[in-house]
Amino acid sequence: MGALTTRVKDVQEMKNEILEFLKLRGRRVAVAVSPFLKRANLEAALKEAGFEVETAGDTFAREADTGIVEFDLGVAETGTLVHDATDLYKRLASMLPLNCVAVLPASRIVSDMVQAFEHYLTQKNWPGYLAFVTGPSRTADIERSLTIGVHGPECLLIVVVEEGEGSNAGDPL
Amino acid sequence: MPETPFKVRVKQALLNPTLRGALERFAADYVVAREKVFTGRDFEGLRNKIASIKSAAALQLRELGEEFARQVTLRGGKVFFARDAASAREYVLKVAKEHGVTLVVKSKSFATEEIQLNEYLAEHGIVSYETDLAEWILQLMPGERPSHMVMPAIHLPKEEVAKVLSRYKGRPVEPDIKTMVRIAREELRDKFLTAGLGITGANIAVAETGTIILFTNEGNARLATTLPPVHIAVVGYEKLVPRIKDVLPILEALPRSGTAQPITSYVTMITGPVPVGGAGGVALKEFHVVLLDNGRLEMARDPVFREALQCIRCAACTNVCPVFQLVSGQVYGFIYSGGIGSILTAFLNSLKQAQNPQSLCIGCRRCTEVCPAKINIPDLVLELRKRIAREHGLPFSYRLALRGVVARPKLMQGILALGKKLQRPVTGGQPFIRSLPGPYKAWTEGRSLPALSSRSLREKIRDLEKSPVRPRLTAAFYAGCVIDFIYPEIGEAIFKVMQGAGVQVSFPLDQACCGAPALYAGDIETALKLARRNIAALEEAFTDVIITACPTCAVALKHKLPSLLSCEPGWYERALGIAAKVKDFNELVQEMEVSFPGFSTGERIKITYHDSCHYKRHLGLAQVAREVLRRYQGVELVEMQESDRCCGFGGSYTLKYPEISRALLERKLHHILESGASIVVTDCPGCLVQLRGGLDKVSSPVLAKHTAEILATEQDL
Repeated sequence: MGALTTRVKDVQEMKNEILEFLKLRGRRVAVAVSPFLKRANLEAALKEAGFEVETAGDTFAREADTGIVEFDLGVAETGTLVHDATDLYKRLASMLPLNCVAVLPASRIVSDMVQAFEHYLTQKNWPGYLAFVTGPSRTADIERSLTIGVHGPECLLIVVVEEGEGSNAGDPL
Repeated sequence: MPETPFKVRVKQALLNPTLRGALERFAADYVVAREKVFTGRDFEGLRNKIASIKSAAALQLRELGEEFARQVTLRGGKVFFARDAASAREYVLKVAKEHGVTLVVKSKSFATEEIQLNEYLAEHGIVSYETDLAEWILQLMPGERPSHMVMPAIHLPKEEVAKVLSRYKGRPVEPDIKTMVRIAREELRDKFLTAGLGITGANIAVAETGTIILFTNEGNARLATTLPPVHIAVVGYEKLVPRIKDVLPILEALPRSGTAQPITSYVTMITGPVPVGGAGGVALKEFHVVLLDNGRLEMARDPVFREALQCIRCAACTNVCPVFQLVSGQVYGFIYSGGIGSILTAFLNSLKQAQNPQSLCIGCRRCTEVCPAKINIPDLVLELRKRIAREHGLPFSYRLALRGVVARPKLMQGILALGKKLQRPVTGGQPFIRSLPGPYKAWTEGRSLPALSSRSLREKIRDLEKSPVRPRLTAAFYAGCVIDFIYPEIGEAIFKVMQGAGVQVSFPLDQACCGAPALYAGDIETALKLARRNIAALEEAFTDVIITACPTCAVALKHKLPSLLSCEPGWYERALGIAAKVKDFNELVQEMEVSFPGFSTGERIKITYHDSCHYKRHLGLAQVAREVLRRYQGVELVEMQESDRCCGFGGSYTLKYPEISRALLERKLHHILESGASIVVTDCPGCLVQLRGGLDKVSSPVLAKHTAEILATEQDL
């Protein structure tokens, strides 16, 4: 669906993969902090590698070159990422910068939309802002010519992490 | 005939090559891409699901609206029930003023266009920016109209867009799409970050959870619902579904039907207010839903038109509509275009305003094959036509032709007999009228009109009615006007083939026009009069079956008569009795396993088959015809491109919109000639009028024949 996808063994490889991706894409990185990314110590690794990292603030992600966000689910059938993005920073990190890195533990890949809906139906309340993301932002409004990156990210990297959160179940993206 | 502004718009659109080119290329690609994206999926099952969810919802819109409002309120949002456009506009303005808003960002929404929100806010000093790329470009071009519901700027070449952006930026902008998209990103990003209010529509609203759902590819709806501190969604009642799980089939069908994508880049589900950033840190944003009635609840009370509320606004119907492809959404004149648009216009605007848009429907029924909500758009358009005729009367020419002539079969036969004599100066003894003078010139441009036959079928009948010894079956032949008065040779072929198969065929002389022209013009009075007459005539024949060779007549006898007479006890049963006996010629040939010798000698002749719209999509006999033809020795069937695309005849349509009819015919002729066949075969005499007339105009050696004529040929054609 126009996204770059990479599959890595563990969080260490994930960090390497992200650093490699960021190399050519500017120094400013907006990270939407989430439990998985926290446990992976991503923020520290980025800073250590010399990136300017922001995790909150009034102007969060506005000037960032890349946003990094963890997603709740991956839907194999359509290559769709899903997350409860009620948290403002999750939304901003995935919407504003020209590049987006989506982190997804492999154990959270489901086969289709029915399963994705089931996942959220087991929660007490339906999420406030549930976002389904499939590939980069695109338009075909001028001469039906597909052009990416109109309002959202132009480049979307999906990093599927095999280990780190339960066992690997389901199909690859 | 003076040209109405509407007809002038139609002509202008037809003469705009960029517009036509863009729409035609899109239409061709769309069909292939849609087919692919639905491969392996049970489309029928899917659309049955959607139709059942949405039709049930249409019956309880008020209750769903109340439940939706309760849930939104529970989550901390506000719902305003807007009875009409004015109250919806006023509410939006009130909220905007409360927050001191001067700048609004909008994500594409038909509902806000319907209530003319931008203009209203502008009058009150509030500037609204459309953020969908195409809508933004159009907004920068005052007076320009959207040409398509999903791709509003499809008619603009990139050079044109570059001119608009150069003017906007005050510096030259190269017509490079990537560069222009980047300019839009930068310009609009600034608006997103400074706007005090974001306004969106919704593709779906869920009562159970109070959720609104937005589909976009660009991601503009995400920004419009995330960055400004206030969000107002203007949502039509028909977007409501009861449960969150009802979203699933719509999610599966909407992007696939609209743009042939498995899913749009973004699907956003918003339930209540969510956090928003600002100078004072993170706070909860304000979330309003304007639930818009504006004619929808009246529509829901209408037992017939309620069906149109099933629409999920995917535009698949217009993507396959051969007329829309020629004229574009710019011609329809209101927010919603195409056949479905004319129905919505009737309720959201007025019946009168739907009059012109609805008249563009040629009734080919192609939309019924792809509608993911299973809406019978052409039948709803007919119902609309009926109501318009009832409320505003029939146009004079229709009244004269239908009530003055067609409704009086004896008089009509007399006029036709006279016409036969009078036509000689224009036909010169040829079977065509190749040109007409003055105001009727357009009728013979691109296609010759048929001449009346020198002897009608009814005049030949005494020589044709032979009775085989111990017939296998008795049949009455219902010819219809075209076969009777223009192409009696088709009738003769049918007598020959059927008698050869041991059928005793008769021709009830009291038969009259099937009433379809009246019905399709909305003239129920004439249709009823003819229905009763035909029922009586066909009953008197006392036969086992009634053979038809014209799908329009067959549809009238089989389906329209019983529904027309459904409120008349006695007549209704009689109509059903007749309907049960009606058999299409090919159907009977196949059932009786009639065999044909075919050609005695020589090479097989290449034929190609043109699917008549009514024959394929109303009677469902496209394959039967092909099987019958394949069994006939001596011909080789080669398929043309787009064999089931309308030839542009459409009965009186060809006279009402000769330019559209001609454009459709040109495309059809192109495919016929490209197929390399020497005969084009079809099962509709109406299509034959169009095809023979078109082939004559281009002096093509290709013949147009009815299947019966092929089967009746024993020697080389």
